Parts: sequence; structure tokens; C-alpha cells
Amino acid sequence: MIKVLLADDHSIVRAGLRRIVEESGDMTVVAEASDGREAVLAVRKERPDVAVIDISMPVLDGLEVIAQLKSESPEVPILVLTMHEEHQYVVRAIETGAMGYITKQSAPEQLVKAIRKVHSGSLFLTDAAAEALALRVAKGSGTQSPLDTLSTRELQVLRRLALGNTNREIASAYHISIKTVDTYRFRLLKKLSLRNNADLSRFAIQNHLIET
Amino acid sequence: MKLRSILRILSLLAFLSAGVAGYLYYSLLKDYAFQEAERSALNRLQATKKNLSAFFSENTKPVRVMAGMTPLVDALVHMDPQTLNAANALLDLFKKTLDVEVCYLMDIRGNTIASSNRNDADSFVGMNFSFRPYFQDAMQGLPGTYLALGTTSRKRGAYYSYPVYRESADTPIGIAVIKASIFFVEKELTPEETSIQLVVDPLGVIFISSRPEWLYQLLWQLNPKDIRELRRSRQFGNGPWHWTGLRQKGEKLVVDPSGKSYLFHQVDIDKYPGWRIVHLYDIEAASKLVSEPLSSIIRPVIIILCTLLGASIFFLYRRASMEITRRRTVERALRKSEERYRSLYHQTPAMLHSIDETGNLVSVSNYWSEALGYTREEVIGRKLTDFLSPVSRKYAEEKIIPTFFKEGFIKDVPYQFIKKNGAVIEVLLSAITDHDEQRRTIRSLAVSIDVTERNIAERALKEAKEALSSYSKDLESQVRKRTREISGILQYTPAVIYIKDADGKYAMVNSRFEQLFGVQSPDVRGKTDQAFLAPDIAEQFFKNDERVLREKQSLQVEESIVIDDAVHTYLSTKFPLYDGKGKVTGVCGIATDITVLKKAQEQLRRLSASIMTGQEKERAYLARELHDELGQVLTALRMEAVWIRNRVNQSDPTASARALTMCELIDKTIEEVRGLAIRLRPGVLDHLGLVEAVEWYTADFEKRYDITCIFEHDDGPEIRGNLATAAYRITQEALTNVARHASATRTKVTMSFGDGNLKITIRDNGKGFEIESLGEAEGLGMANMRERASLVGGVFDVQSRPRGGTRIRFTVPLTKS
Repeated sequence: MIKVLLADDHSIVRAGLRRIVEESGDMTVVAEASDGREAVLAVRKERPDVAVIDISMPVLDGLEVIAQLKSESPEVPILVLTMHEEHQYVVRAIETGAMGYITKQSAPEQLVKAIRKVHSGSLFLTDAAAEALALRVAKGSGTQSPLDTLSTRELQVLRRLALGNTNREIASAYHISIKTVDTYRFRLLKKLSLRNNADLSRFAIQNHLIET
Repeated sequence: MKLRSILRILSLLAFLSAGVAGYLYYSLLKDYAFQEAERSALNRLQATKKNLSAFFSENTKPVRVMAGMTPLVDALVHMDPQTLNAANALLDLFKKTLDVEVCYLMDIRGNTIASSNRNDADSFVGMNFSFRPYFQDAMQGLPGTYLALGTTSRKRGAYYSYPVYRESADTPIGIAVIKASIFFVEKELTPEETSIQLVVDPLGVIFISSRPEWLYQLLWQLNPKDIRELRRSRQFGNGPWHWTGLRQKGEKLVVDPSGKSYLFHQVDIDKYPGWRIVHLYDIEAASKLVSEPLSSIIRPVIIILCTLLGASIFFLYRRASMEITRRRTVERALRKSEERYRSLYHQTPAMLHSIDETGNLVSVSNYWSEALGYTREEVIGRKLTDFLSPVSRKYAEEKIIPTFFKEGFIKDVPYQFIKKNGAVIEVLLSAITDHDEQRRTIRSLAVSIDVTERNIAERALKEAKEALSSYSKDLESQVRKRTREISGILQYTPAVIYIKDADGKYAMVNSRFEQLFGVQSPDVRGKTDQAFLAPDIAEQFFKNDERVLREKQSLQVEESIVIDDAVHTYLSTKFPLYDGKGKVTGVCGIATDITVLKKAQEQLRRLSASIMTGQEKERAYLARELHDELGQVLTALRMEAVWIRNRVNQSDPTASARALTMCELIDKTIEEVRGLAIRLRPGVLDHLGLVEAVEWYTADFEKRYDITCIFEHDDGPEIRGNLATAAYRITQEALTNVARHASATRTKVTMSFGDGNLKITIRDNGKGFEIESLGEAEGLGMANMRERASLVGGVFDVQSRPRGGTRIRFTVPLTKS
């Protein structure tokens, strides 16, 4: 049985989450917290296998909770469960020490899977979150990077192209037209003084935009 | 050149004439000398003839005497030695007395019986001379004279014979002969260089000659018969007698074999029939003789004369030539000057014309014809007045032209010419008359000055002056009116107005100034601020006015004046005053009490700040409510829906589908709620801070507007609160403007933390704009950003120019927090 802590200031959400967790059969909610402080205290007291933490919480917000738990109980893997979809949260949460990040919206489908993943010691990220993280890692690696001159969308397209995605795949991923993808590709090649997709891949690897 | 040739020919002719005259004179002299010589030759011939005649007749009488002497008759009769001796003695006596060569006596047979030379070697005694003509003549009772060469003596002589008669008998018994030597005669014929004198017998044998070699030679060639006769007579020995070779060439001219010519004269000798004295005059020698003295005198004279003549001709020729050259130069200069005058006349850029006495045009300058539009050919010969306007024509014909020809000049006569195209030219015409040497007027020289423009200008000027005068009157009244108005404005305006000179001394203050500072205008005039104002006020005024004077730029400044213990704020506009030359002469200040305005402004700002803050709070609240409360509820709802779906998935597919629809509906609603909340205020700004919020916004902006948006930032402190809100809102507004108005394809947001400042720059490559010409909505947007910036103590700055993109910069110090 995986012992799970649920920290969320909304009781109805907590109730929904509890049901999802417990219906999995091999997990049990050992504690619930309605604010950050309670969450920290509950972890200390109950020693859950996985802490599921919301970001927007009164008293201590989720990120502070993560930071605190990270120093107090680094062995407890933390899964962030939040309303926020913005990548900035993902990046910050992972940077702070969270092992996974899912939105509440996707909870019915992914929560159990995510808990299992982080419990097993692995990161759990959606594709978009993984991408955001990769972009941030790449950009933040050096003070002066050629990537600084690229916009987010350009970085996204560059990474996808480097990963071998087709224009069509990229277009559908970002809800843009194939033609726009091509425009981006052309602009990237020009901006980075590269000749083809192979060059782009090499460039992405060199700049840690994708992992080998 | 022609004249020079003529001169040359004349000189040559003069020289030739001189030469010919000299020659003629010379020949004349020569001829004269020649004739003189001839005459003298003839004279001499006559003299010679006389001498010879005298000589030849000299002994005719003696011989007669001698023949009559008794001894001779006795001798012939007796023939004895006694009588012969007596005869001989007589003969000797005669010979001696007469000084002749020989005297002898012959008998009737011709034998010489007595002779004066009986003792000489060539004695005649015993000789028979009966062949001699003189014997034969005497024997016939005639006295004989005969010239011959002695056969015995071989000497020439003149023989005189006379018959000797016995008393009273008629027949001669012998003859007495005297032979006189020719020698003396011949001596008379002294040889001369120029002439030869000969005595020749009838056959031409030269018996006596001034030229000895010609003796016994023949003057002319003789035929053999005559030669034979000559030989027979033995008159001149036995010969031979050579021909001298002379030939007659004309009446008076003979030529010798050497070609020498002689003038030939001859005279007969009296009593010697056929004998002639011949005179041959050597022409060459004679001419030499004649010409030599001539030559020696005349020739040098002639040469000298010729030389002098030649020299004087040459000199005169030179003089004439020089004169010609001089005249030619003068002529050329004259011609040139004439040409120049003509060219000057034609080329002068003035209207020049000349008329003759009848008023017809004789010449016009190019400018004249150009000005009137006629060609020269069209006007020459026509009346000047044909080209005048009717009024001018009348004036000219009746008054000006008569006056002109009387007085010789006119000056500045106003005429109107009519151009070929009918246009009128107004001119001022001045003219003088041109005279010939007899002071007769031959033509006029007139210059016309086109004063059309000038007249137009003058008229215009006059009109302008009148207009100006009326305008200036109008202006004066306007000025008076305006002055009254301005005085009124100055008096009643609520603004404080003053004028200071360049030294900062008051020149004028208005009534409001007087009231404010409790002074009277006349009292402050010429005084400085310090003289009558409170020190702090004076300091303010002086400083600001001095700055205006120094920088020569208008200045708007707020000045504080304490009135009744309350601080009043004046908005003062100060500007330099200039004189006509642009020199600053003073400063004018206009101060308006804006204390109330200022307070209102301050209140307004506070109000706007509180509104903004309130609005921001409201938004944050709403966003949170939407996102956290409604969103959470929706999330919970979604979980329920999913749960139901999962539960009835097998048993009731319809319900399951409905649950799915519900789920999708909830998802959509959540999206909308989230979007709404974020638009109100992104949670990232509150949870993660400014950098993350801007990062999210730029990425979202790029996604939404398809404008490439690059975000660059330094590492810096996490910015939150009002500052983060202001910075975020400014960035948001700026990017929204880019999306709405800029037509940009790229935009870049740079956030830097340096020198304790946060600096955010938003650039785009769009079309830009004129900041001054912003529309109201855009202007308000700008004002909003500016206001936000100023509320947090920052500075907002826009730079843009058409087609040059826009740059917006927000700088704020990070001292707080």
C-alpha cells in the first residue's frame, strides 16, 4: 500500500482526489491537509510514501512546502497537483524539488500513474512539462547562450525538429499551420547560421536542448 | 603696294632720265669736240695746202731768174770749161742763196752739163733726165714743176724747170732746174696721233707722208695699167708700190686693214693738177682725244651727279615709302577705329540710332533692332517717326526734331516706340548731331534708354507708396487699438507679467505684479529683484531669468511664492526678448498661479493611483476567485464526471457518453475560467514573480499573435508587489500596442538589473509613429503606462519614428524592498 498525503485547500477537490487514489486499490490516503503548514506537519507525523501538494494554498504555498519538505524529509517524493498549467510553475516546482507535476484537470487520468511513478523514484512529467523543463534547462545552462536570441516558440520548434518531429507533427502539437512551422524552421536556420535539420539537431544537442 | 610700285617705277624712270640726259650731254659734248677737231683738221689742211702751195711755187720765179742768167746761156752755147765753170758758180750761188738741194743745167738733149752737186758722189753731171716731164715742159717753153723721187740722188724733191733761151731766140737751148728738198715740207707735216697727212699724186702714190712707213705706197688699189704707167714715168723710182690697204667707206670715211676708221678729207694742190693733200683723221684716237678730257671731267661729274641723284632718289623713295607706310598705318588705324566705332555702335547694349536731316534712319544698333523686333533692313531708310506712337510722332515732328536740328542736341525726351509686335516701349531719348567738316549736320547720334520697366516700377512704387501710406495709417490705428487691448490684457490678466532688460532690471510690471508684491510700477522700474523682493523670491526670479538670458531659450518653471504664510505655486513662462537684429534685449516673465491646479493635479494623481491599485486588487481577487474557487470546483466536478463515466462505462454506454460530454464541457469551462483569470491577473506574477510572469506573457503573446517575441533577462532579485505589477502591466500594454498598431514581425523584451535599477525595454521592428501625432486611444495608453511608471517612482520613455520601429523603456530604481 502506498501511503499518500493530499494537501489541497479545497475539501471537495480533496474528496475527489481521495476517491481516485483509493480506488486504485494499492494506495491509501494517510493524511489530508488544507493548507501548507498542515501539509508539512502531516508529513512529519504520518511519513507518507508520496506527498501530493497543491501550489495555491493558504499560509504556506505549495512551493514553500516543497522547499521545506525537501530539507526536512528529502526521502518523501512530492507530486505537485495544481490548477496551474503554466510551464513556469512546472519548472519552478521541479527546481524546488518536486518529482512530478500534474494538473488537477488531468488528475482522474494521471494521478495514480503519477503517484506510482514518483513513488518508484522517477520523475513524472507530461510531455509539455518535459519540454518546458528542457527549454529552461537549456536556456539556463550558460549566461550567454545562442538560445537567448530565440523566442519560446522558436525554441520549441527547434527542439521538436531536433527530436526528429515532422512539420506536420509540430504543427499539430502547437496548433499552428505547417507553413508557419516551415517559416520558423527557415528563420532558425538563418538566425543560427545552420544549413539543415541535421545541423539543427547537432546545435540542439550541443546546447543541451535535447538529451542524447 | 601699288603706290609703292609706282614710286619705284618713277624712281627708276628718274634715274634712267638722269642717265640718258647724262649720256646725251656726254655725246653732245663729244660730238661738239669731234666737230671742233674736224674743223681744226680742215683748218690745218688748208694751212698745209697754203704752205705747200707756197712751197711748190716758191722756186718758180727763181728758176726763171736763174734761166735768164747769162752764164747759163753761155755755157749752153759754148760748152767750154770756162763757161761751164761760170755756170757752175752761178748754180752754186743759187743753190746757196735759195737753200735748195741742187741747181743744175741741162742741154736740149737732156744731159746735165752743170750742176751744183757736180762734186758730189751722186753728181748729176753727165746724167740725162730727158724722160722727166719737167724737161719736156721746159723744152716746150713752159715752166715746169714736178714732184718726184730723184733717180740719181734717191731723194724726193720738187723740180722747178725753166727753158734757157739765147738772146732773142724762141727755142730753148737748154733748161735750168732747181730741185728743192721735200724734207722741209715733210717736216711741216708733223706727225700727230690723231691725224695722218699725206700728199699723193693723181694716181694715189703717197709722196709725202706724216707716217713714214706709208711713203711710196698706194693710197687706193691701182689697176695694172696705171702701175705700168707709174713704172714707165719713173717718177717714184722703180717700185714696187704697195697698197696701204685703205678702203673708202662712204664719202668721208676710210678703213685701214686693221679696221681702224679714219675721217677722210682731201684738197687739191694749186698748180699741181691731180695732186691732193689727204688728211686722215683717226676717229678712235680723235674720240679718245676728245673724250678723254671729257671723260676725266664730265664722267666723274656725271657719276657724282648720278650717285647724288640716285642717293637723293633713294632717300626720297625711302621717305616716300615711310610716308606710305605711315599713311597706311594711319589709314589702317582709322579703318580699325571706324570698324570699332561701327562694331561698338552695333554691339553696344543700348538702343542707338542715327537719322539724317530728313528724319530717315541711317543706322541702328543691334540692340535697337532687337528691342523693337525689326531687322536692320526693315528700318534703314524709313522715317524714325514711323516707329513712334501717334502721340510721340506728333510731339517729335512738331517740336523735338526741329528743335534738335536747330540746337544740335536733345536730352531725355520721353518717347514711345511701337515694337513690330505692337507692344509699346517707353524710352528716354538723348541725341546729338554729327557734323561734317563744313559744320553741316550729316546725321544724328541718338541713344534711347528703355524705361518701360522703370516706368512700370515707378508707377508700381508710387502705388505701393500710397498703399503703404494707407496701410501704415491703418497699421497705426491697429497698433493703437492693439496697444489698448494689450494694455487691457496686461491690466486685467490674472497672470503676473513683467519685463526686464538684459541687466535684469525691471522695465515693466503689470497691475497683478503690483498687487502681488505691493509695489507701484514706476517705483520698480530700473530696479533689480533684490531691491524690492523678499530674498528667497528674488533669488528664484533672478536665477531663472538669468538662465533665460544666458541660454536664449524660453523656460517653463514652477516658482513658489509665499503669500500670507501659504505657499503658492506659480507656473512661470519666461522667454527672451529680441531687438530687430536678433540680440537679446531682455526677458519677459508670465507667471500664473497654479496652486489650485497643482493641488487638483496631486489629488487626481492620488486618485488615479488608488484607482489603479484598487483595480489591480480587484483583478487579483477576481482572478483568484475564478481560478482557485470556481476552477477548483470545476475540477472537482470533472473528477466526479470522470468517476461516473468510469463507473457506467460497461453497464450504460449512453450514460458514459453523456459523462464524457460533461467532462469535455467542464474542460472547456475550466479553460475559459483560467483564461479569464489570467487575463485579469496572471497567477505567475503573484506566485513566481515578474521574470516568470513576463516570460509566460511573451510566450503566450507569441502564440496568440504570431509575432516572434524574444525575452531576455539577467539574473536578478525576484520582483513582486506594486513594482512587479507596474512593470508587468507596462510590458503588457506595450506588447498589446505592438500587436495592435505596429505591424511588427518581431519584438524583443529585455529585462536587466543594473546600477540598482530595473530596466525593461520593449522594441519592435514595426512601422513606428510620430509621438506627437498619436490618436487619443493610443495617447491614453501611453499616458497610462507613464502614470504607472511614475506611481512606482520610475521613468517611462518612448522612442519611435515612422518606419523605424518603436522602443519603450521603463526604468525604476530598486531601492525599496
